[in-house]
Amino acid sequence: MNYLELISHVLPEIAVLVTALVLIGMGCAGGSRGGGKAVLAVTAAGLGLALAAVVFGPESGRLLEGMIVVDALTRLFKAVLLALTLGTALFLFPGGEAGGNEGRGAENSALLLLALLGLLVVVGTENLLLLFVGLELASLALYLMVVFAAPAGRPAEAALRYFFFGSVAAAFLLFGFSFIYGATGSIDLRVIAKVLAAHPVEPILPLGVGLALVGFGFKVAAVPFHLWAPDVYQSAPAPAAGFIASASKVAGFFIVAKVLVLGFGVVEGSADWGAFAMGWAPLVAVLAALSMVVGNLAALAQQSVRRLLAYSGIGHSGFILTALVAANAEAVRAVLFYSVIYGVASLAAFGVAGCVLRARGADRLEDFAGLGRTAPAAAGVLALALLSLAGLPPLVGFFGKFQLFAAALSGGTPGTVPGLLWLVALALLMSAVSLYYYLRVLKQVFFAPAPADAAPTRDTSAGTAVCLVCGSVLVLLGLFPSLVLQPLQRALVQLF
Amino acid sequence: MVDFFFYLFSAFTLACGLLVVLSRNPVNAAVFLILTLLGVASLFVMLQAYLLAAVQVLVYAGAVVVLFLFIIMLLDVPESARKRFKPAVALAAGLSGLVLILGVGLLVSGAETAGPEAPAAGVGADLKAYGEYLFTSYLLPLQVTGFLLLIAMIGVILLSRKPSAAADKEPAEAKTR
Repeated sequence: MNYLELISHVLPEIAVLVTALVLIGMGCAGGSRGGGKAVLAVTAAGLGLALAAVVFGPESGRLLEGMIVVDALTRLFKAVLLALTLGTALFLFPGGEAGGNEGRGAENSALLLLALLGLLVVVGTENLLLLFVGLELASLALYLMVVFAAPAGRPAEAALRYFFFGSVAAAFLLFGFSFIYGATGSIDLRVIAKVLAAHPVEPILPLGVGLALVGFGFKVAAVPFHLWAPDVYQSAPAPAAGFIASASKVAGFFIVAKVLVLGFGVVEGSADWGAFAMGWAPLVAVLAALSMVVGNLAALAQQSVRRLLAYSGIGHSGFILTALVAANAEAVRAVLFYSVIYGVASLAAFGVAGCVLRARGADRLEDFAGLGRTAPAAAGVLALALLSLAGLPPLVGFFGKFQLFAAALSGGTPGTVPGLLWLVALALLMSAVSLYYYLRVLKQVFFAPAPADAAPTRDTSAGTAVCLVCGSVLVLLGLFPSLVLQPLQRALVQLF
Repeated sequence: MVDFFFYLFSAFTLACGLLVVLSRNPVNAAVFLILTLLGVASLFVMLQAYLLAAVQVLVYAGAVVVLFLFIIMLLDVPESARKRFKPAVALAAGLSGLVLILGVGLLVSGAETAGPEAPAAGVGADLKAYGEYLFTSYLLPLQVTGFLLLIAMIGVILLSRKPSAAADKEPAEAKTR
C-alpha cells in the first residue's frame, strides 16, 4: 500500500473534511454573516464533490487490515449518507431569517460535516478500532449540534442527557470491543469471523458481544437504551434532530448489521420459539420486542409531534431489529433497505415539523391544525412521510415492512411454523397501533380548522424542495422498489 | 510470588476504586482516583507493559486527574450530603448488579482459557515499537482522533461564547411530557 492508493480510497472523506475546515475558516473570518448563502454554497459544493468521489472513485479495495473497505455496499451507503446530509444542510438554512443560527451558520455546517465524516468512516470500515473512533467523532459533533444555536434551558439539558448517555454507551462499546479483542486476538471483523469459526467460543466473548450490543442499542435508540431520544428529538433544532433520525440511524443500522452478521455470524444462536439457543439473536430479539412495544405505546400519549416522531423512531428500531434476528442475506437486505427509507421519511417529517415550529412557535398537535389549507405542499409531504412510516401501500414503507417481516419469517425449514412468528406477530400488532397515532397527526393537519390568528406557514424554497424530493422518493420507491433493491442485492452478493 | 502481587495490587485498585465512589469530599475522591490509576499501572508493570504503565501514570494520574482537581477547586464543589436512594432504585440497581455478577460468573466458571495467542509481547513495552505501530498500522485512527479533539475544541469555544441576540429567536416550547 502506498499513500496515493490510500488517499484515492478515502477521497470522499477528504472532500468532506476539507469542506468542514473551509467552513470553520469562514466562521472565523465572519463569512457567514451574509445570510448563509455562501456557507450553503460551500457545503453543497463539498458534498457534491464527495458524492462524485464516491461515484467515480475506486470500485473495491481493502486497505490496512480492513480499516478502509470500499465495495459496492459501502459506496451505496456513503452516497445515501451524503444525500441525507445534503438534505439536512438545506434545512439548516431557512433563507433570510435564520432560525437562531444567525452568524453561526458556518460553524453549524462544519459540525454537520464533521458528524458526516464520522459516519462515513464508520460505514467504510471493518475494523473495530476505527469503527469506535468514527462513532465517537460523529457522536461528539451530534452532541454539539443538539445544543448549538438553541435557546437556554431545555436543549442544554437534553444535550447533557444525550452526552451522558452517549459517553456511557461509548464506554460499554469500548469495553465490549476490548473483550472481543481479548477473545479473538483481532479487531478486523473478517479475521474475527475466521477465528470464531475455527476455535471454540471463549467465555469472555459473549460478554464482549453483549456489552457492544448495549453501545449499538444506544446508537439506534432501542429500548432500554432509548431514554435520550425523546428529549433530544424534541429539544434539538429540527435539522439536527432530522440528521440524528436519518443519517445517524442509517449508519447505525448499517454497522449493527455488518458487525453482527459479518463478524459474529457464527455465534448467532437462535431466538426461535421453543428453540432458544444462546447467542446474540435472542438478545436482539428482546431489544426488538421491547422497542416495538414501548416505542409504539408511548407514542400514543404524546402531544408534541417531534416527541411522537422520536417514539415512533424507537418503534421502528424494533421493526428493523426484528428482521436482523433472522441474520441471513435476505434479512440484511431488508434491514438496510428499510433503514434508508426510514431515514428519508424522517428527514421529510422533521423538515415539515421544523417549518411548523418556526411559523407557529410550537409543535403540539394543535399547532398542526389546518396545515392542509395554509401550506398544502408541506402537509402533503408530511402525509406521505407518516403514511410511509405507518406502512400503507402504495408508499415504500409498506414494501419495506413487508420485506422486513418476510425476511424474519424466511429462516427455518420450509413446511414448519417459522420460529420467529411470535416476533413478527408482535410487530404486525404494533404496526397497527402505530397507524393510530400517525392518523391522529394527519387528522389535525387535514380536518381541524386552522386557528384564526395562525401565521402563514412559509418555508424557503430550499426546505420545500428537500421535502418534495423526499416525498417523491417515497412514492417512486413504493412503485419501483427495485431502483434501490437491485443495487443493494448486487452489493450484498459481493459481501456474502 | 507473581500471584501474590497480582492479588495485592488488584485488591488495592478495587479498594481505591470503591473509595472514589464512596468519598463524600470530591477532592478525596480525586486523590483516590490517582491511587486507583497507580494500582492499574502496577498491574501493567506486572504484565511487562512498562510503557503503558508509564503512560498511565503520566497521562491519567498526572494530567487528567490533576485537571479534575483544578476544576473541583475552581468551582469549589461542596461536600455532598449523603443522598438516600429511593427503594425502587436501590432494588433495581442491586438486582442488575447481581444479575451481572452471576452472568459473568456463569460465563467464566469452568471455562478453558486456551484462546488464540495474545498479540506479540513487547508492543506495550517498547516505545519505538509503539511509535511505529501508531504511525503506520494505526495511523488512520490516530488521525480521526485528532479531529475528535478539534471538534471538542470548537465545541468549547462555541459553547462558552456569549449568547447572541439571535439565539433567543427560537421560542421556548411548552413542556409536554
